Amino acid sequence: MSLKADVQLDAKGLACPMPIVKTKKAMVGVNDGQILEVQATDKGSLADLKAWSESVGHQYIGTKEEDGVLLHYIRKSGDDKGIEKKFEQTIANEEVIDRAANGGMILDVREEAEYAFGHIEGSKSIPMGELEDRLDELDKDQEIYVICRTGTRSDLAARKLSEKGFAKVYNVIPGIGSWNGDLSKKI
Amino acid sequence: MSNKVAIIASNGGLFDAYKVFNIATAAAATEKEVAIFFTFEGLNLIHKQAVQQLPMPEGREHFAEGFAKANVPSIPELLEMAQEMGVKFIGCQMTMDVMGLSKEDFVDGIEVGGAVTFLEFAKDAAPTLTF
Repeated sequence: MSLKADVQLDAKGLACPMPIVKTKKAMVGVNDGQILEVQATDKGSLADLKAWSESVGHQYIGTKEEDGVLLHYIRKSGDDKGIEKKFEQTIANEEVIDRAANGGMILDVREEAEYAFGHIEGSKSIPMGELEDRLDELDKDQEIYVICRTGTRSDLAARKLSEKGFAKVYNVIPGIGSWNGDLSKKI
Repeated sequence: MSNKVAIIASNGGLFDAYKVFNIATAAAATEKEVAIFFTFEGLNLIHKQAVQQLPMPEGREHFAEGFAKANVPSIPELLEMAQEMGVKFIGCQMTMDVMGLSKEDFVDGIEVGGAVTFLEFAKDAAPTLTF
């Protein structure tokens, strides 16, 4: 099953350094925060795209292999740590599992591909961009712990939920990027 | 961290060309500022005619098949790509004088300069590579 990507790049059959060169060009057409899927058959692209993403400042999410084709997922300019967080009800990474066990829900607002490569077991995935249209999947009486990678998108999501009348909302700080527990890849 | 990669190309075979242009295009794609100083046989890599038929090392001619199979881009393609991505080509004036070549013998868009031109670029580059 292919994961949801905003832009797809076909770099199949190309040898080094072409997958990198093509990825660099394709990134121009990707907006901040969107996901690029790079399809490649060059085995070197696995290490190269990861190193490239780190060097240039994008978030390398992960790679899966499908019928001999490597599918690399990269999120553009993934570093949003500098943005100020405003939502006041927060909860620490360490506390969230225990709290959720008492009937709360962990809501993961990262992109589908990020969720697929590692999430807290039992958490629900609603990407930030879909949140407004999927509010009916959430329960206003339940405690909701909103999580993302660095706490920035979840801050935004928590504020949005609060505006919509969800009172028991918490932003999980710092988020999956600093998660010490187990992460599941099951979808 | 330095954002510059400086490359010296001093050999003129097909394999040399791949080493030079692969690293250069990969570095440019990683948003580095790249300059290549072409000197002695390295000038073949940007010579209008020579670059079209760079020699394989003797006894390695059978690699031609491997290049085709791996779908490796041709050197003229890589060269064009490198230029398109802003890689700076500097031809060595002294070597050109010795070989009786002028700027017109080379692909468009090159600069011609002496050792100091390259050294000035390379002084704060990391890495500096020689092929």
